[in-house]
Amino acid sequence: MNTLFSHRAIKVILLIFFLLLLSVSQSSQAHGNSTGTLAIKLELKQQQGEYHPPYVAAWLENNDRKSVRTLLLWRKEPKWLKDIRRWWRNVGRKDAELVDAITSATHAAGSFPLSFELTDDEQHALTEGDYTLYIEVVREKGGRSLLKQKFSLNNQTQQFTLKETAETGAITFTVTP
Amino acid sequence: MNFKKATLVMLALAVSSQVSAHSRWILPSHFTLSSERGEWVTLDATASNEVFNVDKALSIDPLSILTPSGKKSRPSSAYKAHRKSVADYFVEESGTYKITNNSTPSYFSTYKVGDKRHRARVNKMELKSLVSANATSLQTAYGLTRIESYITMNNPTENYAIDGKFLELLPKTHPSEVVENEPATFVFTYNGKVQSGVEVEITRDGARYRNNPETLTMKSNSKGEITFTPIHAGRYLLIAEHEQEAKNKTLADKEHGGVFLTFEVQLQ
Repeated sequence: MNTLFSHRAIKVILLIFFLLLLSVSQSSQAHGNSTGTLAIKLELKQQQGEYHPPYVAAWLENNDRKSVRTLLLWRKEPKWLKDIRRWWRNVGRKDAELVDAITSATHAAGSFPLSFELTDDEQHALTEGDYTLYIEVVREKGGRSLLKQKFSLNNQTQQFTLKETAETGAITFTVTP
Repeated sequence: MNFKKATLVMLALAVSSQVSAHSRWILPSHFTLSSERGEWVTLDATASNEVFNVDKALSIDPLSILTPSGKKSRPSSAYKAHRKSVADYFVEESGTYKITNNSTPSYFSTYKVGDKRHRARVNKMELKSLVSANATSLQTAYGLTRIESYITMNNPTENYAIDGKFLELLPKTHPSEVVENEPATFVFTYNGKVQSGVEVEITRDGARYRNNPETLTMKSNSKGEITFTPIHAGRYLLIAEHEQEAKNKTLADKEHGGVFLTFEVQLQ
C-alpha cells in the first residue's frame, strides 16, 4: 500500500516536473523569438578609376562608447585591418578571436540588404538603452567614410536613412524590437 | 600684453641658455600595425627644426627597441645618410614597442669670450681649466635628453619602462589611443617624481607648409600632467624640457632633462 502510494506520487511529481520543463523551454523559446532585428541596406558606391573593393566594418557601441557587437567585417589581408581606423582601435585589435569569427570577403560596389539579430558579441539579447551604429568604409587608393547613427533600443520600430558619403550611397537601417 | 611679451623674451632666453640644439626625433614609418605574422617598420632619425622634414642625420648608435615582452633589441640594419639615419626593424610580437635613442647623461658647458658664445662638452671643473682668463658667463648643465616613440602592433600594452632618471614622459592616454578632438594626457616625472612646470611644445607635421607652425605650448600642472586636444589627425612632435639648480654644484650649476616624443593622432 505504502509502496503503491509512493509510486503514484512519483508519477505525479514527474508529470509536474515535465510540464514545468516544457513551459520553461517554451517561454525561453518565445524570448528567443522576441530578440529584435537590425536591418541595414548598405550601399557601396561605384567609383571612378582604379578600384579596390573597400574594407568595411559595422558595429554597435553603447552609451560608454564601448563596442557591444561587431555586425560585419569585410576584408582581405590582416595588414590593412588597421586602416579601418576606429573599428581597429576600439574593437578589432583587442579581440583576435572576434576578428576570426566575424571575417568575410570584401565586396565590390553594390547594394547589400543585411539583417542582424539585436544581440551582443556573445549572442545575448541587447538590453534597452542608447546605442550608436557605426559603419566604417575604407578603400585602398580611395577614401574613408565613417557613418554613425544613434538609436534607442525600446519597444518601437525605428527607421533611419544615413546620408550619402564619398564611399557610400544612402543607407537605410531599421530597428525592429 | 606686456607680461606676455616679457614671458616670451624670458622663454627665448631660457631656450638659448640651454642646449639650443636642433629638435631631434625618431619617426617610425608606422605607429599602428595589424598583422598575424609581423611587419617591417622603418625608422628615420634626424635633427631638424622643421617638423617632420629631415635636416641632419642623427646618430642611431644608442637606438634601442623594447619589445612588449620586455626584451631589448636592435634594428636589423641601419644606414646613415646626410640628412637622416634609417633603421629597419621587424615587429614580430603583438603589443606596444618603446623605441628610444637616448645617449647617456652628459655635461654641457657654455661660456663667452667677448661677445662670442662657445660650447664644450665638459663638466664645470674641466671647463675652468679649459677656458682662458677673460672668459665670462661660465655655465654648466648636467642632463639627459630622451628621444622616443611608441609603435603598437595589434593589442596595445603599457610598455612604458620608466627608469626614474631625469625628465620622463609617462603616457596616461596610451600613445596608440590619441585621437583628434579627444583630450589626451601625458604625465611628466623628474627623477621618478611627478614634475610640475615642465615646458612642453607640441607641433604637428607639415610645419614647412604653414605660415604659422601652430605649436601648442603648455606647462605641466601640479600633478605633472599636460592635457591637450589635438584638432587634426597626423604625426606630431612633442618637446619637453625641465631645468633646475644642481644639488651639488661641484661639477654642474644646473641639471636638465629633455624629451622628444614622436606620436600620431588618429582619425576619429
